[in-house]
Amino acid sequence: MPLHDVGYRPWTGTPRPRGAAGVIAGTGIRLAFKSRWLRRVLLFAWSPALVFAGGFFAFEQAVEESARGEPVSPTRRLDSFGTIGALVADSLGGRLDEPEAARRTVWSRLLLAFMRAPQAVLLAVVVGLVAPKLIAGDLRARAWLVYFTRPLGRTDYILGKVLTLAAIVGLVTLVPALVLWIVGVLVSPSVWVAVATSDLPLRIVAAAVAVTLPTVLLALAYSSLTAESRIATFAWFATWVACWIAHGALTGADMAAEAARAPTAQRGFDRLLGQVAGDPRLPRDGRPPLGWLARAAGLERTVDRWSWLSLYHAQGVVQAWIFGIEDRLTVVLPPLLALVAVALVSLVILFRRVDAPARA
Amino acid sequence: MHAVHHSEPTPAVGACAGGDMPLRLEGVTKRYGARTVLDGVSVEVPPGITGLVGPNGAGKSTLVRAILGLVRLAAGSARVYGLDPATVPLAVRRRIGVVPEDDCSVPGLSGVEMVQYAARLSGLPSTEALRRAHEVLDWCDAGQERYREVETLSVGMRQKVAFAAAIVHDPDLVILDEPTNGLDPLERRAMLGRLVALARDHGKTILVSTHVLRDVQSICDRLVLLVRGRVRLAGSIAELTGTGTDELRLRGAGPTARLVECLTAHGVAAREVADGGGVLLRAADTAALHAVWSAARDAGFAVESLAADRRPLEDVFLAALAAADAADAGQPEDEVRSHAPA
Repeated sequence: MPLHDVGYRPWTGTPRPRGAAGVIAGTGIRLAFKSRWLRRVLLFAWSPALVFAGGFFAFEQAVEESARGEPVSPTRRLDSFGTIGALVADSLGGRLDEPEAARRTVWSRLLLAFMRAPQAVLLAVVVGLVAPKLIAGDLRARAWLVYFTRPLGRTDYILGKVLTLAAIVGLVTLVPALVLWIVGVLVSPSVWVAVATSDLPLRIVAAAVAVTLPTVLLALAYSSLTAESRIATFAWFATWVACWIAHGALTGADMAAEAARAPTAQRGFDRLLGQVAGDPRLPRDGRPPLGWLARAAGLERTVDRWSWLSLYHAQGVVQAWIFGIEDRLTVVLPPLLALVAVALVSLVILFRRVDAPARA
Repeated sequence: MHAVHHSEPTPAVGACAGGDMPLRLEGVTKRYGARTVLDGVSVEVPPGITGLVGPNGAGKSTLVRAILGLVRLAAGSARVYGLDPATVPLAVRRRIGVVPEDDCSVPGLSGVEMVQYAARLSGLPSTEALRRAHEVLDWCDAGQERYREVETLSVGMRQKVAFAAAIVHDPDLVILDEPTNGLDPLERRAMLGRLVALARDHGKTILVSTHVLRDVQSICDRLVLLVRGRVRLAGSIAELTGTGTDELRLRGAGPTARLVECLTAHGVAAREVADGGGVLLRAADTAALHAVWSAARDAGFAVESLAADRRPLEDVFLAALAAADAADAGQPEDEVRSHAPA
């Protein structure tokens, strides 16, 4: 018997009535961070923020130069930050002669582009690394016996797992976006920028929730359907790829049909190169130069009627609505309903599956 | 044989007022589709150690799940300290600790983390949970192994961790499913000792589901036999294994026939049991016991043991199984009993 063995002693404390979800989440996060790959991906996930922070800096320089009356144009010269900022503003639809409106447009679009383009893809990777093991691992190790013989219910368990994954997803989406906004304010010549863009942090939170909830619930639902985390991982990535391909194919078909109807329309690099070279034959149609960039990032107001098919594209449209870039209900509603449906169906699966072995 | 009608509660030994009874099941019925897994199980478990035995598929695990409120019952009710697991499962589980038969762990946690985690899930504050986890693991003699991941531990060590996790929140009712699985004889004895200590020194109610009848006989006060979802036998071990007489069985080495003669000469009624079963005798008072020792000395018989005559629990178990088979087949029970091991 060890010297410090005091024998069995009754515990006389008062148990906390609630908080099991927090305990599950805390432990889940700690265990997830044991993965070297997750730590690497999370570190990498912050690198795009540097590039975007540069975008904020350049744009604010352009606004500053414009305010000083210096001629700022994308085609003037390429040796000043202001020029790059003007290029950014132009490509994102901001007019420097209206600095306040331009700031709102450019900041919103930069943040949306940041959350959509690099972070949403990294989010898929992070979720693919973490989520499959969260419930499948418990099923495999019969950890449900640990949980459901304790004073906690399915809701506590699911909430704990959702919080685990949401916290890690937040480190890829919410936190870098908020930090980016703060950095944007810090690199701006005036601190009044913070006031002018004070609604953006709330929009960032809302946009992050719009991404996180359906993503997390879907990934956990997959994880609850099998005791083999590999299968859940495959299902997760297969869903993303399949939805992306389906969306791409259908949208491509739509674009081809549109092109057939207007064969003379200027598109893509032709228009870009023509505008950069100042080709007088190319009429300016009111679209900004480098608008193809905005279109590629999904920022341009286009009718993407297949966006509800793909988790990534549906989230993009809803986020654009949250950032005030997209305001047409007919465009927003289908993807919004699709995301709600994904979340609800996933939730039903989770509630039916997580304690199924205990009830069997 | 003490076959019990399954629709009536079976008070085992010891009287407990209704709300204080740790566990009371009344007509508990559970069906999975057309299959009835628990068929009107009625039993009461008072404080102490109760063995829950039965062949594979008898419904023991389902019964434990019913007690925890994990399964919805088709009929009947369960009460744990007066609480209904169907309506207040969390309050019930707060008072219960469970050691499952299956190996279970949270992947990635060490032994001490696992026990601390279990404590925190049961509502203990973080620091208190860690202190308590170490304390309970010390009591379970877990040593330094506690710092290794649970998946890498030996079967016996995992069993200790599971036991520590079950009692870390100081539950009133501890349910153990095959608690001595994978333990070496020394560890097995230590584990049984801990159960006895919990029951006798700390007033815990312990329900042990096991196939090892020797363990049941050595530590349990009561026994519940479940066969095909029905309680076929319930009562105190002493009552179930008693022969209905007050005879003592004397075992040892030496001339048994001569011993019987000497005992008779000393006025002690005795008879030899065939096949080396020793000698059965009646010694009601101290004088008679003195006479037994004198007779043994006179006969040159080396006494090894003198104890109340009991039927081996295995015989009781097999007889009850045979009776259950007969009852289910519609055969008269008396006929079966005559063929069952005595």
